[in-house]
Amino acid sequence: MAELEIRDLHVRTEEREILRGVDLTIRSGELHALLGPNGSGKSTLANTIMGHPGYEVTEGQILFDGKELRELAPHERARLGLFLAFQYPVAVPGVSVANFLRMAINAQRDEPIKVKEFGSQLEHAVKLLDVDRAFTSRHLNDGFSGGEKKRAEILQMAMLQPQIAVLDETDSGLDIDALRTVAEGVAKLHDEQGIGALIITHYQRILDYVKPQFVHILMDGRIVMRGGPELVARLEREGYDPIREEVAANA
Amino acid sequence: MPEAAMPAPPADSTRRATATPRKAGAAREATLHFALDGVGTPRIPLAESRERARAAYERLALPSWRRSGFWTTSLEQLDLEGLERRTHEPQPSGPAFLDGQRSAGVLLQRDSSVVHVELEPELAERGVILCSLEDAAREHSELFERYYLRRLPIDRHKLEAASAAFWTGGAFLYVPPGLHVPDPFQIVYEISQGGTAQYVHTLAIAGAGSDVRLREYGLAGDSDGDSLHAGQFELYLEDGARCRLAQVVDWGVGGVHDVSTSSVEVERDAWCHWLPALLGGALIHHHDEIAIAGTGGDMAFRGLFFTERDERLDVFAVDLHETGPSGGDVHWRGAASGDSRASFEGLIKINHGAQQSHTYLQFHSMLLSASAELDAIPSVLVGADDVSASHGGTVGELDEDLIFYMQTRGLTRPQAVRVIVEGFFEPLIVQLDDPPLEQLIRERIGAKLAGAADEIERYALAR
Repeated sequence: MAELEIRDLHVRTEEREILRGVDLTIRSGELHALLGPNGSGKSTLANTIMGHPGYEVTEGQILFDGKELRELAPHERARLGLFLAFQYPVAVPGVSVANFLRMAINAQRDEPIKVKEFGSQLEHAVKLLDVDRAFTSRHLNDGFSGGEKKRAEILQMAMLQPQIAVLDETDSGLDIDALRTVAEGVAKLHDEQGIGALIITHYQRILDYVKPQFVHILMDGRIVMRGGPELVARLEREGYDPIREEVAANA
Repeated sequence: MPEAAMPAPPADSTRRATATPRKAGAAREATLHFALDGVGTPRIPLAESRERARAAYERLALPSWRRSGFWTTSLEQLDLEGLERRTHEPQPSGPAFLDGQRSAGVLLQRDSSVVHVELEPELAERGVILCSLEDAAREHSELFERYYLRRLPIDRHKLEAASAAFWTGGAFLYVPPGLHVPDPFQIVYEISQGGTAQYVHTLAIAGAGSDVRLREYGLAGDSDGDSLHAGQFELYLEDGARCRLAQVVDWGVGGVHDVSTSSVEVERDAWCHWLPALLGGALIHHHDEIAIAGTGGDMAFRGLFFTERDERLDVFAVDLHETGPSGGDVHWRGAASGDSRASFEGLIKINHGAQQSHTYLQFHSMLLSASAELDAIPSVLVGADDVSASHGGTVGELDEDLIFYMQTRGLTRPQAVRVIVEGFFEPLIVQLDDPPLEQLIRERIGAKLAGAADEIERYALAR
């Protein structure tokens, strides 16, 4: 049972302050959705959780099972059981999906994984996500379509078995079939492995397939509203403007 | 005019391998025409070619090269007279690093002496010859005289002349027509210690319709003091022959200067896959030229290099089409770390009348430190009108987004850098189709990366 706790998080880039006091707690087994308009700070939060060097934490804490992450390098955070599915996964030329997965798994273990064990895990994950086995011998993200990139992200998630995963706009750029496959993959991993997930999205469509228990709305670097699935339904009906007005009125 | 006629660097230069910034100028264009272009040395007795080369050696000054128009590589500081030509007794076994590998034959030359030769008896029975070039000149004089220096000059610069005049030992391989030999022939030139001059010559012939794998190694351990390896290599692929040729050069940390010329001739319907891997040496100056000399000839010319510390590397790779239809595919990759400087010039030359030649030249580079320099100069000279010849390339640095991506999967920063650089070379390495050699090159690249890890890190953080 893991817990990611974000307390009063302030983050800036070279240009400006983007997050201005975010509080959020995610435990394994919980599905959270983070919604917000463009520029609200969603990707900043995702990247900061994993320790991207381009973002500076000026205030607040990120705790994983009570352990402060701020001083940890990205790979150390990964080894604790955190995972980030990227909005724009980059190509890793010359390295096949399977080889990369093996490297990543071995990076998180003392003993290298046995060939047979790796093979059967990969077999299982490939079935779960409905991808072609030949896919795993292609160079990772190199020449992949948008949908293939996102599937490769979820495939890595399935193989690395994190405790808590952050999915940064995994639904963007996907057609409806790819979206369904990816979303159902996430749901299955949640059911099978009991991971906790923070699903960051601009649209609500992915939430037709993955049902979050907790919904948070991020605006201008702060979480301005929290609720359950009913909040998604409201957003879908009304858009962000009424929420923005309501928040302004209450301020 | 020979390359050696390039202007000398300033007299106050103190570095062993000088790299002097220069303005691009008229002299630069001249390098285009330094292709061997099929010009060899007329058939003359060995003693006579040695005598001519010696006269050229005495006439010429130590060379400097101005490859890229931006900087000059010089050997003027090399104390040639101070270097020794060391001889050694024969030994019962081959080089240890080949133990456990299957080989068709092995020849080991240490410094000036061939110390070990072995050839599968069955292949010897079928007419394969593997011996020192000295022995071949005596015992297989007809073959020797037919091919020796057919496509190599002996007097373009002082060190080429020295190699042609003074070579000892050397390697001779002959594979008779029609014979397919799946295991590789391995020719190893080793420099045993600093202060050595090694002059060598490899002559290899793949008879019509034969199928051959040949590996040539230039190796030295880490050493103190300057050394010189001046080599000439010639390979002739007769009609329909197929050859996978790999040359692995790793002179270690120390003062080995390697000035070598390699020539491959591809006759009618023959095919060659040629991969030089230049993995270390104080100064490497290589002229590698492949000539399609018969219709239907085809080749894949791959190459990779990785320079570190204050190494200097200068490669001139030539893809020559003397006739068509012919095919070519030149693909080189180079990385530079430390204060090293590397220069790659690739030339496609399609001669008059070589119609329906199709070739492509690409060069990809990766800089791993702020003080390393890497230049690439592609050139195309076309003398026929029904051909396709083009070139492309990329210049890369370590991609921070890619490093972060891999870190989020649990890889440390040095691991991520290693994956990137290995991935950079991998498209060439996998094509070797030769697992022990692939492993050797991967390991060597890995070791170089480990050695340069701190400096790569500093470079990344400074950006």
